[in-house]
Amino acid sequence: MPSSVFYRQFERHDHAAGLHAHATTYCPGCGHGLAQKYLAEAIDELGVKDRTVLVSPVGCSVFSYYYFDVGNTQAAHGRAPAVGLGHKTANPDSIVICYQGDGDLASIGLAEIISTAQMGIPITVIFANNAIYGMTGGQMAPTTLNGQRTTTTPTGRNLFAGQPLKVAEMIAGLDGPVFVERVALYDNKHRTHARRSIKKALEMQVNGVGFAFIEVLAECPTHLKLSPEDAELWVRDNMEPVFPLGVLKDTSDGPHYPTMPTPSFDPELMLKVLGTTTENPERFATGFPTHLDPDDVSLKLAGAGGDGAQTAAMLITRAAIAEGFDSTYIPSYGPESRGGTSYADVHLAAKEVLSPAAPHPHVLVAFNAPSLAKFGPTVRPDGVILYDSSVITELPDTIAAGVRVVAVPFTGVAKELGSAVVKNIVALGALQGVTQMFPKDTFLAAIRASLSGHRAMLALDMQAFERGASLGADAAATL
Amino acid sequence: METRVTTIVNKPEPMLLPEYCKGCGRCIDSCTKDCIALGTEINPLTGLVPVVLDLERCNHCGLCIDACPEPFGMRPEGEEVAFELMDPAHLGGPRPFDAPTPIPQPDVTVPLPERTTMVMKGTYAAAVGAVLAGCRHVYGYPITPSTEGAELMAKVQPALDGVFVQAVSEVATVNMMYGAGGAGKRCMTFTSSPGFSLMLEGVSYLIGAEVPAVFVNIMRGGPGLGNIAPEQSDIKLACRGLGHGNTQAIVLAPATPQEMLDCSMLAFELAFKYRNPVVILGDGYLGQMTGKVHLPDHMVVPGIPEWAVWGDQSHRGNLICSIELSEAGLEAHNQALDAKYARMSAAEQRADLHRCDDAEVVLVACNTPAQAAKGAVKELRAKGVKAGLFRPITLWPFPIDALRTVLPNARRVVVVEASSGQLEDELRLALSHADLPTPPLSHVRRQGGVLPSVSEIVDHVLTLPNSSEREVR
Repeated sequence: MPSSVFYRQFERHDHAAGLHAHATTYCPGCGHGLAQKYLAEAIDELGVKDRTVLVSPVGCSVFSYYYFDVGNTQAAHGRAPAVGLGHKTANPDSIVICYQGDGDLASIGLAEIISTAQMGIPITVIFANNAIYGMTGGQMAPTTLNGQRTTTTPTGRNLFAGQPLKVAEMIAGLDGPVFVERVALYDNKHRTHARRSIKKALEMQVNGVGFAFIEVLAECPTHLKLSPEDAELWVRDNMEPVFPLGVLKDTSDGPHYPTMPTPSFDPELMLKVLGTTTENPERFATGFPTHLDPDDVSLKLAGAGGDGAQTAAMLITRAAIAEGFDSTYIPSYGPESRGGTSYADVHLAAKEVLSPAAPHPHVLVAFNAPSLAKFGPTVRPDGVILYDSSVITELPDTIAAGVRVVAVPFTGVAKELGSAVVKNIVALGALQGVTQMFPKDTFLAAIRASLSGHRAMLALDMQAFERGASLGADAAATL
Repeated sequence: METRVTTIVNKPEPMLLPEYCKGCGRCIDSCTKDCIALGTEINPLTGLVPVVLDLERCNHCGLCIDACPEPFGMRPEGEEVAFELMDPAHLGGPRPFDAPTPIPQPDVTVPLPERTTMVMKGTYAAAVGAVLAGCRHVYGYPITPSTEGAELMAKVQPALDGVFVQAVSEVATVNMMYGAGGAGKRCMTFTSSPGFSLMLEGVSYLIGAEVPAVFVNIMRGGPGLGNIAPEQSDIKLACRGLGHGNTQAIVLAPATPQEMLDCSMLAFELAFKYRNPVVILGDGYLGQMTGKVHLPDHMVVPGIPEWAVWGDQSHRGNLICSIELSEAGLEAHNQALDAKYARMSAAEQRADLHRCDDAEVVLVACNTPAQAAKGAVKELRAKGVKAGLFRPITLWPFPIDALRTVLPNARRVVVVEASSGQLEDELRLALSHADLPTPPLSHVRRQGGVLPSVSEIVDHVLTLPNSSEREVR
């Protein structure tokens, strides 16, 4: 009897049930039917019918889900390997098979097949190559032979239309797959071999070995405009010389793909992984820094990438939130990872930060001259500018009257302490010293909490903060 | 020396129901005994010409069975011979399979202990919300300014034995979600405008096949590559353009890092409630903004829905598919989708009304611009203008029911947005569909990565006629 992996009856759309619901949609003599029959037998023989998820492609085999009595997913054109990867990662116990044709896999879906194959995840891909687009009516496929006439290469495929793509060789050239073979269906011997290879490829998934790929040279009598018999000969005489048969890669005796774990939903582990705590941060401030603004203080920290403006901004935000206020910061940087511009806007609000940008900050911390020139004029008349006097030698004349300008050698102090990297912490200290926004302990606690991953730096950070704070306080006293 | 034993498998004789033969003749060459020949008579039931068998010389080798491309074509004699030929008119309908009916494995809500308020950026908050909602499958492709969400997931998911896959493209990403979502798992991605454009083909498939998935789109300046600064550039895309066909999805617009977390959790609930994707739109500021976030008092351990293509016996009968070839069938499918969209529209409108009770000037804004608008409300109130903020949290469905309560007092409505009127279009459409008259409408719009500022909004409102003084209607 037919393989039990085939439905006892093929559901089709209701106005065309085909040959009484027991025949496929494939044309007489089509290679798809054979490849799928061998695939069904392999599923049957390996006893994995219940675990199998078959991903149907777009193309002549689009309706594979009509035939296979397994879990079925129908994918967009070319995307079967990505869909298959989704299924396999969702349930590593499922047996995922992507069945694809040459237009689907070798043209629109190249990125998906190459990347999935290279990842080596244990799924099985059966690739039917018949050198032509079938469903859309005989157009050129990536695998169409040189000189072959199709409806879009009416005088034969020439070099301008590219050359036939040797997909199995391409996949075999990747590190990810464990098994790649090209087989054919044109005579008894090759059919017997093809059915064995398909089973072998599937078995590799069942045993968790890895990604296996079988390219099947299939006949398309209809669009080759040949009898089924002549189509078999055409594959033998024309396709096989271009697409040689055989095993192109077999590393199945090597290491298996790693076992995929089962996701954890343990609340304790999750809370730990997310870095949550139950410690309530200590409060040191007696209230909101109303001497700066009654309910919303904004700051801008500006420098070059690597100056540490972002870290300093984050520390201010953390400090304010630890004191029970609302606070936000937003970074803004150029495209460079290092050396470009790097700005941060910070707000702290007694109740709620209403607008996170700081176009007119109360406080500007400038790490270099361009930042001071750019943002100095935007500071409020009653505001404060703190700048790194180690690198900024001249003040712009565009700063509003009334703005208090404080020079602290961030970089110089940091270098003196042993590392220029902590200049942002010197600046943070200076900010505290000048503005008395919060007590020193507030910031020190924020530094300890935030930079706990870099314990080695902590002592240096503490020193840098204290030096900055004392320089800032001194400078403020002379204003 | 090894002894070779040849086992002769006694295969049965082949048989063929002529009605199931397409007459391709591939079996003819396979037979070494010339038992099979091309037929000459047209089968009246199929209109095809089946091969004819003369099995006198048959040695039961079985090669003809292997050569037949049809599952029910050439097959061994003696088993299940009689197939009742059925009238095509009575075929179709549910596929016949003997898999047991799946038993739904419901989600479980687990209470969480109180935790200290955390400080994190918006993308992180969305990621944390997803983890709390039971998402252990994240697929993505790096794109500024959304990447930090993916980066956090790349750390967190492996620590929870979850899955993070960096795909080859956004196209692959959305299709991995189609696979994992189709398997019934809670999956998500982080992207930004150009990446979201690429995903739209897949979003249409997700909607067509009714697969849940969550998209966090941290919108940036467009069109084209635009820039990486904040814009509300994809409201139109998310509300009106989710790929081809009759597509609609719930679109959430958080305004703070806290809401990024809350909306992320809500998104998974809604995605599975309706078997439909959910889109969270943030702007570049919101994605990058660091602020305080309080964890909720529960998390979700997701089950396996009964419709999932999970890969076990009880789910074997399931199919995830967006094809419906018959016109009547596809029309019915679309009508079912329409009914679902109507249910969403009725039940899922969400809005935040800030000082709207007596508001004569109603600002309408979402995402970060809504925060600026809130600041403007405060300043305007201080100047004696009765201003309020109507903040849609669902952009689709637009919360028209809540807006309806605000309109009677509203003398002016001002739409504040970082786009060229995409939110205003949603407002106007919603008013039109609800048969409500459009109130005097104006706007404050910025683009290209600039957000409307508090002062721009205040200045605009103060220039409006009759907004700074009371007037009896």
